[in-house]
Amino acid sequence: MIAEEPRVDATRVTELAQSLETELARLIVGQKALLRDTVIALTAGGHVLLEGVPGLGKTVLVRSLGQTLSMSFSRIQFTPDLMPADIVGTNIIGDTDGRREFHYQAGPIFANLVLADEINRATPKTQSALLEAMQERTVTVGTQTRPLPSPFFVLATQNPIELEGTYPLPEAQLDRFFFKILVPFPSEGDLLEIARRTTGDSTPQLKSVADAGAILTAQRTAREVPIAEHVLRYAARLVSATHPDRSELDSVRRYVRWGASPRGLQTLVLAGKVRALLEGRYNVAFDDLNSVAQPALRHRIFLQFEAEADGITADRIISEILEHTAKEPASK
Amino acid sequence: MSSLEAIVRELRKAARRALGARYAAHALVGAVAWVAAVMILVRLVPFERRAELAVLGIPVALAIAAAAWLIRRPSAALLMAMADIRLGLKERLSTAWERRAESGPLDDAQRHDAVQHAARASLPAAFPVRVNRGEATLVAILAIFALALALLPNPMDQVLAQRQADRVSQARAAKAVADAKKKIADSGKPSPKDAQIQKILQDAQAKIHEADSPRKALESITPAEQQLQKLADPGTPALQSSAQNLANALSGTGAGRSAAQAISTNPAKGAQSVRDLASQLQSLSPKDREELAKALAKASQQAQNSQMRDSLSKASSSLQSGDAASAAQALNDVASQLDSLQEQENTDQAVAAAINGLEAARQGLAAQADRDANGQGGQANAGASPSAGASGNGNGTGNGTGNGTGNGNGTGNGTGTGGTGGTGGTGGTGGTGGTGSNGSGTGSGSGAASTERIYVPGQPVPGQSENDPTPLGPGQDVPLSPYTQVIEAYQQAALDATDQSLIPGSERDLVREYFSQLGEPRAAK
Repeated sequence: MIAEEPRVDATRVTELAQSLETELARLIVGQKALLRDTVIALTAGGHVLLEGVPGLGKTVLVRSLGQTLSMSFSRIQFTPDLMPADIVGTNIIGDTDGRREFHYQAGPIFANLVLADEINRATPKTQSALLEAMQERTVTVGTQTRPLPSPFFVLATQNPIELEGTYPLPEAQLDRFFFKILVPFPSEGDLLEIARRTTGDSTPQLKSVADAGAILTAQRTAREVPIAEHVLRYAARLVSATHPDRSELDSVRRYVRWGASPRGLQTLVLAGKVRALLEGRYNVAFDDLNSVAQPALRHRIFLQFEAEADGITADRIISEILEHTAKEPASK
Repeated sequence: MSSLEAIVRELRKAARRALGARYAAHALVGAVAWVAAVMILVRLVPFERRAELAVLGIPVALAIAAAAWLIRRPSAALLMAMADIRLGLKERLSTAWERRAESGPLDDAQRHDAVQHAARASLPAAFPVRVNRGEATLVAILAIFALALALLPNPMDQVLAQRQADRVSQARAAKAVADAKKKIADSGKPSPKDAQIQKILQDAQAKIHEADSPRKALESITPAEQQLQKLADPGTPALQSSAQNLANALSGTGAGRSAAQAISTNPAKGAQSVRDLASQLQSLSPKDREELAKALAKASQQAQNSQMRDSLSKASSSLQSGDAASAAQALNDVASQLDSLQEQENTDQAVAAAINGLEAARQGLAAQADRDANGQGGQANAGASPSAGASGNGNGTGNGTGNGTGNGNGTGNGTGTGGTGGTGGTGGTGGTGGTGSNGSGTGSGSGAASTERIYVPGQPVPGQSENDPTPLGPGQDVPLSPYTQVIEAYQQAALDATDQSLIPGSERDLVREYFSQLGEPRAAK
């Protein structure tokens, strides 16, 4: 007997995402792309690295997200003296019924939503404490591995202009992030609105619009979105094109040191699926892939020093790749 | 599923329409390009059936385009994907078609969504029937170009007209030869060499017909004439003269008067009359016999043909000796020679008719070849034209008359001025002890097309009839004749040849001037 496939209501995912965006927009002025990308990463079950100068609302965004989701939320302020045990927890000696024994004291990582604020201020040793948690969604302390709560969602922030006392994230660490979202400076209109909303005597109170179950359902639904073969091939071509030894673009061959990993392709497709749902569609389109290519690939492309010297950014490389990669129609 | 198939059908129909229009445009471009290419080609190469060639490309281009249109059937997946892109359907149709048999959690919803969006879109708009602006511009440019080429004067028209005239000329020449053949066949005077004559004319006719140009056709006439001339019996004039002398001698006798009249009328009748006379010898009076014997003796003395002379002499002596039987036998021999004369005359007439036909052909061909040469701005005669500064190198066989001792037969390589009458090798090395200085030969210059050779008849050698043709030709001995005796005949032959050959007027003047200069020292002498 074949078990019947449970019916998936994709519209609920769309509604959930729209509710989240609407609720967050009550506090976050403008930044629609930031909100959309954050929701896409959340729905896809990926972690987000937010990069922007101080004061743009990165922390506010993550905190607000915690408020809109009925899930456990913890914030870790990364500092140079932060130790791994401060994140994942440690075994401490406790007194139980008159006996002294080790007890595991869980760290702040044990939450559904973790804000890793100013992640590049911690030492690489501490940063690497997040590796297992982000990829395996487990934490190993001593000899015991413990699962993290599901869903598990890390939102890290970093400041791109502060170089003193910072430790850039290593490539392996960066690759664990589903999206790297650049937080732009608000427009003049948005600045005015921010001033109006935040300098009065009342601050908007956000309400919870989803719980962990809804998020997990949305994540499963998103993975069911079909993608046509020629669209999938296009995604693969995009990722291949980021590699200097495979790309036909001069800029890639000249400026790129390493291209995106297969995890980049997974991210691209999965993010495309979520975006399709958010757009009210049940299939992935070329536009979906193009739309998520920047946040999905920008932290997976490692540039040469020459690129930095010439002011070439990963975003510019990705734009060129998108411009020159053909959308070949189906061949059969 | 069925909705998706309906969408595919509609898209396929629209795509075939659009592809049909596109291939029609391709075919139009191909056809117009072909016509333009033909128009260019016919300006470089003379081609007579240019219209047919140009028109031929149109159905070919259409057929190729139609075949390509029929063969090329875009797949349903391709149609869906193109419709997605062109109608902004965000890959809905291609995904739905690709997963039409899948039953995943979202597949039904996706197909339903795709069909709904397709229903709202105008599917034929994905494959619009439109003319590519670039192709339309190309067609217009090519069409104007081809039209301009068709309307502008084509330099190859003159060449084609010349070719046409050449063919007409060659056809007329061939007809002239054919007329000569018919005339000979219908003459009613059969000769034993009729078959050979017909064969020679037949070959000449074929060569004229098949020749590339009148100039080439002309080259086949002279050899044919030479072959015909070889068929003519050189002894005929001598025999004719002997027969006429016999008739004159017999006319003064009573018994031979009727025979004389018959011989004058016709050698065959004369032969019969002579046989009758031979049979009547027994019944002749002694006076008549004597009179007849004297007439025969006189005719014998005047006869230039040795056999005739011997027979007449024998008949005369037999009559004088009273041996009528021997005389009758001798007269019968004379009758046989008259029969032979009749045959020779018939052959000569046939040869003459054949040569006349060839000459008629030559006149027409020569005129056309002259026109061709003039029409090409002297290019064809570049080597023959003194004004062009070029001179043809002639390899002539010079038959020189030396002033020294001995016979000089030299083969000289001379530089001719082109055309017929190129001066042959001066100073052909003669035989032992003799240097054939001042030998004049005939040469053919490479710059001139005509290779006609002119032989100057020399004086008859002792024992040879004046009418006998001098045995001339390469490698043959020729009789030595004083220069002053042959130059006039040479001049006449050369001038006749220039009149009949492909030589510009200036060249003819050159030949005349040459002989005039030769004549001055002669006159001074």
